[in-house]
Amino acid sequence: MEFKHKKLANSLDIIAEVNKDAQSAAVGFFVRTGARDETDKINGTSHYLEHMLFKGADSLSAHDVNRCFDDLGAQYNAHTTEENTVYYSATLPQQLYEAAKLWCQLMRPAIRDDDFNMEKNVILEEIAMYKDLPDFDVRENCRALHFGSHPCGKSVLGSVESVKALTSEQMREYFGSRYTPNNVTAAVAGNFDFEKICDCIQAGCADWQPKHADRKKEYFAGTAKKEHQKRKNLTCRHICLMSPTVSYQDQRSYAAALLAKIIGDDTGSRFFWQLVDTAVAETATMHCEAMDGVGAYYSYIRTAEENGSKVMQIVEDIFKSLQKEKISAPELQKAKNKVLSSITIKNEIPMGRLIELGFNWVYLAQYRPIEDEIQRIKEVSLDDLTALLRDFPLMPFTQFSLGPE
Amino acid sequence: MTERTDIHKLANGMTILGIPMTQVQSAAFDFLLPAGASVVPDDCCGAPAVICDWIFRGAGGRTSRELTDMLDGLGLHRGSSVKSKHINLSAALGADNLLKAVELYADIILNPALNSEQFDFSRQLALHELSSLQDDPMHKTMLLLREHFYPDPLGRSPLGCQKDLQNLTAQMCKQIISENFNISEIIFAVAGKYDFKSLCSLLEKLFSSEKPKKTKNINPKKQSLVYHHQQYDGAQVHIGIMTPTVTPQSADYYNARVAVAILSDGTSSRIFTEVREKRGLCYAVGASYHSLKEMAGIGCYAGTTPDKAQQTYDVIITEFKKLADGLSEDELKRAKIGLKSSLIMQSESTIARAQAAAMDYYMLGKVRSLDEIKQQIEKISIQSVLKYLKNNTFEKFCSITIGPAKIKPQ
Repeated sequence: MEFKHKKLANSLDIIAEVNKDAQSAAVGFFVRTGARDETDKINGTSHYLEHMLFKGADSLSAHDVNRCFDDLGAQYNAHTTEENTVYYSATLPQQLYEAAKLWCQLMRPAIRDDDFNMEKNVILEEIAMYKDLPDFDVRENCRALHFGSHPCGKSVLGSVESVKALTSEQMREYFGSRYTPNNVTAAVAGNFDFEKICDCIQAGCADWQPKHADRKKEYFAGTAKKEHQKRKNLTCRHICLMSPTVSYQDQRSYAAALLAKIIGDDTGSRFFWQLVDTAVAETATMHCEAMDGVGAYYSYIRTAEENGSKVMQIVEDIFKSLQKEKISAPELQKAKNKVLSSITIKNEIPMGRLIELGFNWVYLAQYRPIEDEIQRIKEVSLDDLTALLRDFPLMPFTQFSLGPE
Repeated sequence: MTERTDIHKLANGMTILGIPMTQVQSAAFDFLLPAGASVVPDDCCGAPAVICDWIFRGAGGRTSRELTDMLDGLGLHRGSSVKSKHINLSAALGADNLLKAVELYADIILNPALNSEQFDFSRQLALHELSSLQDDPMHKTMLLLREHFYPDPLGRSPLGCQKDLQNLTAQMCKQIISENFNISEIIFAVAGKYDFKSLCSLLEKLFSSEKPKKTKNINPKKQSLVYHHQQYDGAQVHIGIMTPTVTPQSADYYNARVAVAILSDGTSSRIFTEVREKRGLCYAVGASYHSLKEMAGIGCYAGTTPDKAQQTYDVIITEFKKLADGLSEDELKRAKIGLKSSLIMQSESTIARAQAAAMDYYMLGKVRSLDEIKQQIEKISIQSVLKYLKNNTFEKFCSITIGPAKIKPQ
C-alpha cells in the first residue's frame, strides 16, 4: 500500500492509497456538509442536493449520467449524513479514470428546475419510505431529542414541509457556499496510476473558484430527555438511547468504539447475554458515532411491547454496573479481536478502504495506514476504558421509544 | 486473479470446496445444511429458525457462554440464515484462526448441546422476530411474494408461522436435526487464504464418522399466481411482483440474467428510468433474479404513496411485457459490462466467493469459474435474448401489496 497526496492550487485535496494487488479501484468525493450545516428553513437540502448531482451538469442530462456510469460497469452511490455528503464508485481499474472525470463534472451540477421539481417527488417518497421503517424513525427522533437545538439534531431528510417549500434558488445558494474546494476531498483506493488519476481530477476541478467554507463546532452533551410515542400500525416497542462520548478527533475514539462493542455487539456482549440470549429482546445493539467535535453512543433495542420496562431496567443495571465494576481483560480482548478482523475484511476491498481513507482525511487531515489503526486498537487498555467511563458515563441518557397504541 | 477451485469429497459424501485468493489475509466459509424451511414437516414452520439459534447455545461439551466466548475470541464474524432448502452457517475471520473455527463449527453441527432450557429462549426469539416483521412491511412484502409465487412448501417464510412456533417442542426440533443434518448433502465452501490439504484432513477427522442418511424428497403443491393484499396503515403501499423464469441449470440462464439487467441493473435500466427518473413515482424500486433449484423468478419491489400505487404497478408490468418487443445494442452492451464488472468486484470478497461456490455446487453440481461465467455472458446476443423472451414470456405475475390501498392487478 502506498499513500499519495496532492493539493491543488484552489485547496482541493487529492488523496490516494495504491494497492497494485486489487482487482478494482474506487474513487470518492467527500464533501464536508450535511444536515448540521443547514438552517431550519432549508432543512433537507444537503440530501436533496446529493440527489440533484445525479441529474447532471450543463453538458450532461440525468439520463446521460446514468448511462455513463452503467457503460463503465460502475457500482456507484452516494449518502448524506448530519455532517458529510459522500459520492463514490467502484469499477475495474481501467475504468477508474473515466469514472473520476464523470464525478468531476457532476460536482458542478446544473440543478435544472425541471429535474428539481421531478426529484422532489422522489425525495418525498423517500421520506414516506422511512416512516414505514420504525428502526430508522426511532433513531431519527432520538437524535433530534438528544441534540435539541444543537445543529446535529437536524433531520437529514428534512420534513415533508421543508422539502416542499425548498426552491432551486435556495439549493444553488447552499451549493455555492458548501461545495467549495477547501471543503471537498477527492479520495482514491485500489489499483491505479496516481499521476494519471491526478491529471483527471486536476483537469476537472482546477478551475473551481477558491472560496472558504467552514463549520461552527460546539460541543454538546445532549438533553437526556425521555419521550415515548404511540403509533397505531406498530406491533413491537422500538427503543433508542443516546449518551455523549468523544469526537472523531479525540484519541479516545478507539476506546469508545471498543466500549460500545463490549456493551452492545450483536454476539457475546453485555446486551447480548442479558437481553438477547435470554429472549427479553429480539435485538439489542450499541455503536459509537464519533463526529466532528461531538460524539454519541447509540443503542437500539427492539422488544415485545410488554417487555419495555423490563428491558430498560436491565439496560440501566448494565450501565450502572460498568461504573462500579471494571471491565475484564478477556472482554476487552474479544472486542479487540472482533474489531481487528472487521478491519482486515473491510480493507481487503477498495470500496471499503476508500471510506476509511476519506473520513480520516476529512476529520483529521491525516493519512492513517491500516497498520496504524491496528496498533491504536491494540494499545487500548482497561485503564483507558475506566477513564472513558469516568469522563463519559453512560447515564443519564436520552431515550426515545415508539410502540403500539 | 486465481481461477483454481479445490474440490474434495469425504467418503460419506460431504463436499468440500475451496476458492484460493492469494491477495487476502482473511478467510470465509459457508456450510449449507439441508434443513431449510421447505424440508421440515408441515406443522413445524419456523423450526429451522429456532434450530439456527439453538445449535449455537453450547456444543462439544462447552456451555453456550464458553462457545460464544471462543467464537468471539477468534474475531469471527458469523452469520446464519434459513433458506428454502438449507440452513446456511457462514463466518469470516483472519486466516490464522480458520482451522480453530472449523473445529468449533463441527461441534455446532454434529454435537450441539440442545439443552431444553435453552430451547425456550430460541423459540421465544423466533416468535419475537416473527412479530417484528409486522413493523417491517417492505421485508414482509418480499417474504409474502416468495410464499405466494413458489409452490408450497418451496416458498415458505424462513420466519415460520406463529401457531407452529408456539406449538414447537425441543423434541420436535431434535427430530428435525437428526433427520435433516444429512452429511452426504452438506456442502462446505471456503474462500480466501487457506491450506486445502490441512483443511481437508481436519474435516475428514471431524466429519468422517457421520453416516449418510436417506435423501428427502419434496412434492410441491400446485400454485396459481394471483394477487394478494394485506391492509396496513403505513405511509406507503409496498408492491411485490414476481414472474417465472428459467433456473441456473437452463441453457437460457444467461439470457434471463441479461434480460433482468436491462430491466433493472443500474440507473439507466428500463424500470428505474420509467418509474423513478421520468415519473418520480418511487424512491425504492428494482427487480432481481431469484432462484431455487426447482424454479426461478424475477422479483420486483416498489414502495410508493397510495395515490401513485396503481400507476407504479402498471408502469412496471408494461416494462416487463415491452422487453420482448426488442432491445438495443447499447442496452445489451451495458447489461454485459454491468454483469461482468459486478462479478469481478464480488470476487474480491471472501464471503461472497464462499457463498457463491457453495450455491453453485448445490445448483449445478460444479463451481463455475469466473472465466466461464464471463464467456457465457459474452455469448449473449439480441437474438438469443429475444428468443428466450419468446419462449418464456412475461405474462403471468404474482402480485402482493401491503399498505393502505389496493391495486387492480393486470
